[in-house]
Amino acid sequence: MTEKVVIIRYAEIHLKGKNRGFFERVFTVNLERSLKGLRHELRRTSGRYLVENFDEARVDEICERIHNVFGVHSYSVGIKTEDTIDAIYAAAESVAPTIGTFKVESHRADKRYPMTSMQINAEIGGRLLSKFQELKVDVHHPDAFVYIDVRENGSALVFGEFCKGRGGMPVGTAGKGLLLISGGIDSPVAGYMMAKRGMTVEYLHFHSYPYTNGLAKEKVVRLAKTLSRFTGMHRLNTVSVTQIQEEIHSKCAAEYNVTLLRRFMFRIAERFAQKGGLQCLITGESLGQVASQTIEGMTSSNTVVTLPVLRPLVGFDKDEIIERSRDVGTYDISVEPYEDCCTVFLPEFPAIKPKLKDLEEEEKKLDVEGLVEKALSEREVIEF
Amino acid sequence: MIYLDNAATTRPNEQAVLRASEAVSSIWYNPSALYEGGGLARKTIDSAREKLLLFAADSSAFELIFTSCGTEADNQAIFGAAKRGNFVTTAGEHAAVYACAQELKNRGVEVRYAPLRSDGSVDCEALLNLVDGNTSLVSVIHVNNETGAINPVAELAARIKQINPRTVFHSDGVQAFGKIPVRLTKHIDLYSVSAHKIGGLKGVGALIKRRSLSLSPYLYGGGQEGGKRSGTENVLGILAFSYSADSAFHALEENAKRVSFLREKLWNSLDKNIFFRLSSVSGTPYILSVSASGLKGEVLQRMLSDKGVYVGTGSACSSKRPHSRVMEACGHKKELLEGVLRLSFSAETTEEEIVEAARIINNVASRLQGRLK
Repeated sequence: MTEKVVIIRYAEIHLKGKNRGFFERVFTVNLERSLKGLRHELRRTSGRYLVENFDEARVDEICERIHNVFGVHSYSVGIKTEDTIDAIYAAAESVAPTIGTFKVESHRADKRYPMTSMQINAEIGGRLLSKFQELKVDVHHPDAFVYIDVRENGSALVFGEFCKGRGGMPVGTAGKGLLLISGGIDSPVAGYMMAKRGMTVEYLHFHSYPYTNGLAKEKVVRLAKTLSRFTGMHRLNTVSVTQIQEEIHSKCAAEYNVTLLRRFMFRIAERFAQKGGLQCLITGESLGQVASQTIEGMTSSNTVVTLPVLRPLVGFDKDEIIERSRDVGTYDISVEPYEDCCTVFLPEFPAIKPKLKDLEEEEKKLDVEGLVEKALSEREVIEF
Repeated sequence: MIYLDNAATTRPNEQAVLRASEAVSSIWYNPSALYEGGGLARKTIDSAREKLLLFAADSSAFELIFTSCGTEADNQAIFGAAKRGNFVTTAGEHAAVYACAQELKNRGVEVRYAPLRSDGSVDCEALLNLVDGNTSLVSVIHVNNETGAINPVAELAARIKQINPRTVFHSDGVQAFGKIPVRLTKHIDLYSVSAHKIGGLKGVGALIKRRSLSLSPYLYGGGQEGGKRSGTENVLGILAFSYSADSAFHALEENAKRVSFLREKLWNSLDKNIFFRLSSVSGTPYILSVSASGLKGEVLQRMLSDKGVYVGTGSACSSKRPHSRVMEACGHKKELLEGVLRLSFSAETTEEEIVEAARIINNVASRLQGRLK
């Protein structure tokens, strides 16, 4: 009786005192959701989770999915076997290294077990040393560990390698936010980072059909889909800003085009968020990256909303964002060459430090309220 | 829906596809198999090969190798024939040749690009000046896929061989084969063609090769196509290609004459306050490139699509490469480069469609112009 199991250890949840039950419930739901479609049993045991009874040929798939659940600190593929010392050794031999230094670490949940932890360590370590000539013990800085966990029901878990999870907090434990997602590199990363801290992230995308095309929208759907592996959110809301852009283009000074458009976007986003009970806006802005992302630009968009605007990338360099977007898996999609709504009416010299007074003056030429309401009323939802 | 993007692909010729699929039930065997069914498939491919070859060349001097597409034929030709020394080509090549040239450059081969004239045809004298004793290969597109300009490939090939008889001459004939008269002369060594531009199916192309030229294979494997292109042959696609070529070549002159009339009719109906003509009258009848100055071709394309007219643009617009490399090489101004529309026809295009399309294109363009004021 031996079978493969996956042991999952969680990250910060244990810090959460009386809220622990809530965090663990959400975490369980998220783990279950990630494993949907794969035969398995998920159980919570003394401070960890155990995935059992799955198709062993698909263990990599299980690990891959668990890896992407926020809140997972680390996980290991282990072997569940009988608690006899021979069975434990057989399992240990299959997970142990054959070269280098190692250390055996045992733990008994069943204190009636005839050997102490130290005795188990010595016995298994000794047998491994005589089996593999090039192996040495190093109890301080081993290259590898062999963990043995004797459990109460006559079984033992044996595992070697620890794989690092993505850490963070279970999605759904830290409120809800609205991510303004474009087709670029930054915004998906911003969404990832907030989800990593446990926030439920809803997506809102602005397009300017026919100035931007269907492929551009489809690209955003693919970005959102990739992100959904982490966020669990499977729908994208889209709003057209075509009319707004045309109005701005025909009535306002060209250098304010982008800033004015962003103010409209924020207004629309806030209204959308409030209707859906979302508590903040999330953007991929990074200080100074483009003309509209100066502190003056950010201020000018912040002044039209009351909800907090979270900018998790504000202090990152482009290189750092790119590195993260590769890790998230959105980079290759983001760099596909479809036009973004921001570039459609791009002025040659955008205002880098727009003055609030000037912007408000420009907006007097427009029916701001009417344009916002009209754009919102034509919202579309794409489920995937 | 009015389809005016036939240079991208054509609607499959229904008769050709029907006849080919009817035959499939008896020729689906592996053409390399030695039993009767395999032999039958083999014969089918070989008679299609013979027929297709004869449309363009003499079968004693040339042979035809089936490939999976025109791009593969171009790649096979270029990577098979380019040697050390230099590779001469034009600034007006399709990406299938242009990207090969870039790759050759990465591999250390000197690549020389001949400039274009404003209609997209190559400046012949400038091209000939680039050819020297070290030129291993010259590749010149026969009909430019963006402007429709026709290059005098036979004449160029002959003059190149005078400069350097060892230079191999290749031409991408994807927009020519089955549309304008093609006759390979003794100076042309390699010629690429494709099925789906003349009513065939996607997935079949061919490289016509002078028999005396030896070319190293691009795909290795089971030794199909005389060892020159391994991989089990696409029997259905090849058969449909030969049928569709049949009808294209059968009515070649008649079609060209009619389409030429349609092209002029369309041009005459377009609003001259908006559109500027980029294609010359002497180009292929099947392509009319125009530019709507001050408007974006890509935006027009989407708006036209909403109105049921499918057209092409100069190239996929992107913020990184805002306009077509080929159109830029024609020397057009920036305002023109952004507004390129490529209207391309097939033998199936009707006069009613042209009249209707012109009306819609004028409408949409003037509306867009109004919105941008």
